[in-house]
Amino acid sequence: MTAIRALYFDGKSSAGHQVTVGLDAQRVLRVRGAGIELGWPLGEVRASGRIGSSWRTLYFPDGSQCETADNDGVDQMFESREPRAARLLHRWESGLGYALAAVVITVSAAFAGIYWGIPALAKRVAFALPAATESLIGRDALAALDRFVLALSRLPAERQDTLRKLLAGMSSDKDGAGGYRLEFRWGGRAGANALALPAGIIILTDELVALSKDDRELEAVLAHEIGHLRQRHILRHILQDSATALLIAVTVGDITSLTSLAAAAPTLLLQAKFSRDFEREADDFALDYLARRGIPLEVFAAILQRMDEKRPAGKDGPNYLSTHPATRERIERARGAR
Amino acid sequence: MSELYRPAEPVALQFTGSAGEYFRIWIVNLCLSVLTLGIYSAWAKVRRKRYFYGSTLLEGSAFEYLGNPVAILKGRIIVVLAFAAYSVLQQIYAAFSLVLLVVILVFLPWVIQRALQFNARNSTHRNLRFGFHGTKMDIFGLLLIGGLLVPMTLGMAYPFYFAMKRRIFVDNSAYGEQRFSFSATTGDYYVAALKVSLAFIGFLVGSIVTLGIGLLPLYLLLRAYAEASFARLAWRNTMLGGIRFDCGWTAGGLFKLYFVNALAVLVSFGLLVPWAAIRSARYKLERISLQSEHGLGGFFAAAQENVGAVGDEAGELLGFDFGL
Repeated sequence: MTAIRALYFDGKSSAGHQVTVGLDAQRVLRVRGAGIELGWPLGEVRASGRIGSSWRTLYFPDGSQCETADNDGVDQMFESREPRAARLLHRWESGLGYALAAVVITVSAAFAGIYWGIPALAKRVAFALPAATESLIGRDALAALDRFVLALSRLPAERQDTLRKLLAGMSSDKDGAGGYRLEFRWGGRAGANALALPAGIIILTDELVALSKDDRELEAVLAHEIGHLRQRHILRHILQDSATALLIAVTVGDITSLTSLAAAAPTLLLQAKFSRDFEREADDFALDYLARRGIPLEVFAAILQRMDEKRPAGKDGPNYLSTHPATRERIERARGAR
Repeated sequence: MSELYRPAEPVALQFTGSAGEYFRIWIVNLCLSVLTLGIYSAWAKVRRKRYFYGSTLLEGSAFEYLGNPVAILKGRIIVVLAFAAYSVLQQIYAAFSLVLLVVILVFLPWVIQRALQFNARNSTHRNLRFGFHGTKMDIFGLLLIGGLLVPMTLGMAYPFYFAMKRRIFVDNSAYGEQRFSFSATTGDYYVAALKVSLAFIGFLVGSIVTLGIGLLPLYLLLRAYAEASFARLAWRNTMLGGIRFDCGWTAGGLFKLYFVNALAVLVSFGLLVPWAAIRSARYKLERISLQSEHGLGGFFAAAQENVGAVGDEAGELLGFDFGL
């Protein structure tokens, strides 16, 4: 009978006793020490799982326990009773090769999750969200913009009506699905701009209307915003951002803040990439619409060009950092499309 | 009945963990957490804590962590749902975030109390559990002082708050049925804070003299000095029955520890995080010692009750930590 050295604690006081623990022929665990003579069938004793070379505990049915650093001895006694999962886990933790494999798996899985997993999930959720929720989100977003960025439109009512009719005509197009609402605002800091908010709200700034030389240019811009709305880009953006932050907080939670920071940097770059992808999708929708309506694609390129010239110089940074694809690239795409 | 031994000399904690061993445990934990979309992280947390507790020895026997991963997972799910609801609602309805904040503040004392309770009750040594007996009102009062009085007095009340926080934690902690007790006064904390303030002036002067080059290392040194002096003050005024504690952390020692750790973690892209964790544990634990006339054998178990893990998880996510 092999025996291991251990400390026995009865669970009632902190007094400890040096004992030996061994398994006899009847598979009864014998605990022996000065003044201690105890025994339990092996089946009634539980051993804590092995974690490296840290101390193990044998839990007895009466609440007393033995503690030992003799991990191999405990493994021998409880070999047949340890759950398969615990054994596998310990074996995985034992080899350096396995550990390196874990590094590779971790990095690739985390990347795949943020690159494909979350966007796919956000897309499903965005399309499954009830219309009532979406309209609440849209209304609040508009209110927030009105409070912080935009001001009342100075565009004459008849001009607004003309453009609303233009949008109505666009949405009656059988692919346009209808239900869009056009809002006019003074852009202020936002300048010549157009925005799409959830629940089908499209905002045109006075500055953009003034910048256009032809209503077909505004039609192209509206088509681009409809592209955003049809794909629920704004909702997906909100969902992706929240989910990514949550995923990082949960999985990297045990690591120091320094490394969470390092983990966040590539995520920010990925987010920028998603924004650019969304812009491209909306551009594609607009170009497709123009082609179907027989409107020259040049009008879209022209308004983009003028918006770009209006923008303060240097604001359009290098492509990989910018959330909008560089305008030049978008203009070239508009001109290059069939 | 034989005692193991009776120390008259101070006995230090001993830490037997190794970086190589913990690296493998850490990376397997992280890998499974990522692959299971975070579900495994509850088991990972228990495995990590069990490794550190089981590698910390006092008078020849190890500490043990008994937290149940399923309880932690449940707590984590609730916290994640609350956090998700908060972050989505905050983005969508800006006006409601204030209402939500108030709701969270009402639940915070409950969350923190449960966190401290769960953590203490699942820590054992020599088959006796630790315990935390502080009430929600204790924590609520503490939050009120920290959240209102400290900002209102422009930080002048901070040492008062800091002393109160430690006193609430220590006085309400127990090993078995024996309560810990805390003897440092608010005045002691003001003296320590005054010295840290002088060190802060040294930090400002040093940063300017070195034209900003010394800013980061000097800041780390300041942090190390503050942490070491408050830790020594707290431990030297903590008693458990007839046992006195001592703490030998020094500003220089902590500075070297943190500086090397930060450098190693940065250049290794995070792969040396486990190495840094083991170094920190070794430095901090092995410099805490106990002195007792009667040994550690004379403590008795307290009546048991179970505590869920919701608080533990929320407390951790919110970064509230008493820093034992």
